[in-house]
Amino acid sequence: MSSEIEKLTEAYLERVKRPKTWSGIPVKEMYTPDDVKGLDYQRDLGNAGDYPFTRGIYPDMYRGRFWTTREVCGFGTPADTNKWLKFQMGEGVGGLNVIFDLPSETGVDSDHPLAAGDVGLGGVAMCSIKDMDEMTEGIPLDKVSFSLISADPVTLAAYIAVAQNRGIDISTLMGTIQNEPLHSRYCAADPSCYPLDLSYKLAIDIIEYCARYVPRWVTGNVNLYNLRETGITAAQEIAFGFAFAIAHVDGALKRGLKIDEFANRRAFYCSAHIDFFEEIAKLRAARRMWAKIMKEKYHAQDPKSWKFRFAVHTAGSSLVYQQPLNNIIRVAYEALAAVLAGAQSLHACSFDEPVALPTKESQRIAVRTQQILAYETGVGNVVDPLGGSYYVETLTNKIEEEATRILGEIENMGGALEAIRTQWFDREIDAASIRYQKEVEGGERIMVGVNAFTVPAEEESPVGAHQIHPESAQLQIDKVKNLKATRDQNKVRLALEQLRQDSGKGESFNLMPAIIEALKAYATRSEILGTIREVYGYPYDPLGVVKSPFSTH
Amino acid sequence: MGAPQKKIKVLLSKVGFDGHDRGVKIIATVLRDAGMEVVYLGKHQTSESIITAALQEDVEVIGISYLAGQHLNYTPQVVKMMKRSKLSKVLLVAGGVIPREDIPKLKEMGIAEVFPPGTPTSQIVNYIKGKVQPPKE
Repeated sequence: MSSEIEKLTEAYLERVKRPKTWSGIPVKEMYTPDDVKGLDYQRDLGNAGDYPFTRGIYPDMYRGRFWTTREVCGFGTPADTNKWLKFQMGEGVGGLNVIFDLPSETGVDSDHPLAAGDVGLGGVAMCSIKDMDEMTEGIPLDKVSFSLISADPVTLAAYIAVAQNRGIDISTLMGTIQNEPLHSRYCAADPSCYPLDLSYKLAIDIIEYCARYVPRWVTGNVNLYNLRETGITAAQEIAFGFAFAIAHVDGALKRGLKIDEFANRRAFYCSAHIDFFEEIAKLRAARRMWAKIMKEKYHAQDPKSWKFRFAVHTAGSSLVYQQPLNNIIRVAYEALAAVLAGAQSLHACSFDEPVALPTKESQRIAVRTQQILAYETGVGNVVDPLGGSYYVETLTNKIEEEATRILGEIENMGGALEAIRTQWFDREIDAASIRYQKEVEGGERIMVGVNAFTVPAEEESPVGAHQIHPESAQLQIDKVKNLKATRDQNKVRLALEQLRQDSGKGESFNLMPAIIEALKAYATRSEILGTIREVYGYPYDPLGVVKSPFSTH
Repeated sequence: MGAPQKKIKVLLSKVGFDGHDRGVKIIATVLRDAGMEVVYLGKHQTSESIITAALQEDVEVIGISYLAGQHLNYTPQVVKMMKRSKLSKVLLVAGGVIPREDIPKLKEMGIAEVFPPGTPTSQIVNYIKGKVQPPKE
C-alpha cells in the first residue's frame, strides 16, 4: 500500500519537466505582445489567400472544400489493393493514395529471383499495365483524384497508359505522383536503385511531361514526412525538404521550363508530429518560406506558383507498440494540428501502424478521426484560428529562422545534390536519430507506454494484425511470369529498342513517351528501368542478378 | 587474472528489399558503445550474404531487423542456412515492427529473442551479454 501512496503523492506533484518543444526549442511559460513586437500583419501574415500565405493558401479554406481524406494503402496483389480502395471509398475518403511494394520501389519485377519474400509487402506489387489496370478496375480515373507514392516514372506512366487505353483524355487526369527520388536513399530504398544523375533526370522528365500533357496532375510531392521520421527536428524537416524541392525546381528550369509553367503543380508531404503547437507553427512557417522562395528567389509571377500546398501524414514514429489503442489519441491530436495548420490533404495513421498493416477496423477509425474533426469539432469553420496567438506567431518565426539558416547552409555547400554527394544529410540524420533515441532512453522525452506508465508485456493485448493472404505473393509472381511468356515479344523488343535509343539522346530528352509506349507493349518495370539504366552505364538489375533478356550487347 | 578477453562480435543486417534502417543503425551504435564489435551489413542482404559474412567474420551473434512483414518469410531461410553452415551455436535475434502474435512463431522457427519497437536498448545489450561469453584471446 505504501508504494501506491508514494506514487499518488508523486503524481500529484508532477509538472512540466521539459520546457522545450519536441524538437528542442526552449519555450517560455507565457508569451505576450512583446514577443511579436516586430510583426507586421500585411508583410508577415496577410489574410488567407494573400501573400505570404502564412494564414492559408485559400481565402475560404475549408468553407470552400475540406481537406482531402486520403489514407495510404497498398498491399498484396493489385486485386487485393483494388478491394481495399473500394472499401475506403465506401467509408467516405475523398481521394485515393497508393504505395507500392518493396521490389517495385527497388525497380524490379515480382518474379525477380530475390524478391519472393517481399512481394506485396510495404505496398502493392506493380510491374506492368496489367497490374495498374487490375488495381484501378471499376474506378473511373477521369473522376477521382489519385495519389501515387512512387519515386520512379514507371508507375505514373502505367497510370497514364491505362487511362489512354480506357479512352480517357489524359489532360483531365487529377492526382499526384510523389516523384521524389532524392530523399529515398535516406528512407527505405538503397541508393543503388536510385543513381543520383539518372533518378534526378527522370524526375524532371515527369515534371516536364505533365506540364505539357497532364496539366492538372501534381508532378511532385516533396517528401518531408519520410525525412522527419528519421528523428530530425521540425526546422530540419522544412530545410531538408526545401533543399530537395529547390533541386527539382532548378532541374526543371535548366530543362527549359518557365517557373510559372510547373511551380503551381508542385506539392509537399509533411509530418504532423506529436508537439501540437510546434507542428502548427512549422507548417505556417513553411507556407511563408516557400512563398518567399518562389517569389523572391525564382521571381514567379503567378500567385499559384507561390503557394505551399501540402498533405500531412501523422507521424508514424510518434506512435508506439505498447498499449497501442493509445495511438488513436495521438493521431487525433496530430490530425487536429494538421487541420489547424491548413492542410490540403490528410493521412491519419491507423493506431496499429507501429505493429502491422491496418485492419479494416483500425483503418475505419483513422477515417472516422478525420470525419469527426470535419463534421463535429467545428475546427474547419474559421481560417487559421491560431493566427495572432503570441506563442504560435513567435514559434512560427523561430522555426522559420532556424529552417532558413539550415537551408542557407545547404545552399552554401552547393545545394541538395552536393550535400547528398558529400553525405552531409547522412551525418545529420544519423546524429539526430541517435540523439532522439538517447533522449527517450534517458527519460528526457516521455513516451507514454514506452518509458513511463508502462504495463507488463503479459497485460498487453495483441492488436489482431492484418495478415496478407499467404498466396498473394505467389499469385503475383505467376501472373508476371505468365505475362512475360504470352505477350508479343517482338512488340516488346521494338518498344524497348525505341526506349534505348531515346535514352541515348541526352539528359534533356524526355523518356516518358517511350516508357508509356513500352508499357502498352507489355514491357515491365524491370525491363523498362533496366534498359534506361544500361544506357546510363549502370547494371540492368540494381541487385546485379538478372541479365537483360532484350539486351543487344 | 584470466586471458584478456576479445570483444563479443555481432553481425547486424536487414534482409530482403526493405531498407528501413533507422532502428538497426541505432542498435549498431548502442552495441559498439557497449563494447561489442559490430559488423553492419546494410540494406538488401540475402540469407546467403548474411551467412557468408557470419562465417567470414566469425561472429557470436546475428541480429536481423525487420519492418514490413518479411519476418515470417525470411527467418526460416536464415535458420536453415545457419544449420547447414554449422552456425547453430551463433545466437540469432531479431528486432523491429513485428506483431506480438508472431513472436512465438519466430521463436519456434529458431530465433532466440525478439525485440519489438520501444525495447530499451540496454535490455538488448544485457540480453546479449547474458547469453554470450566473449571469445578467449
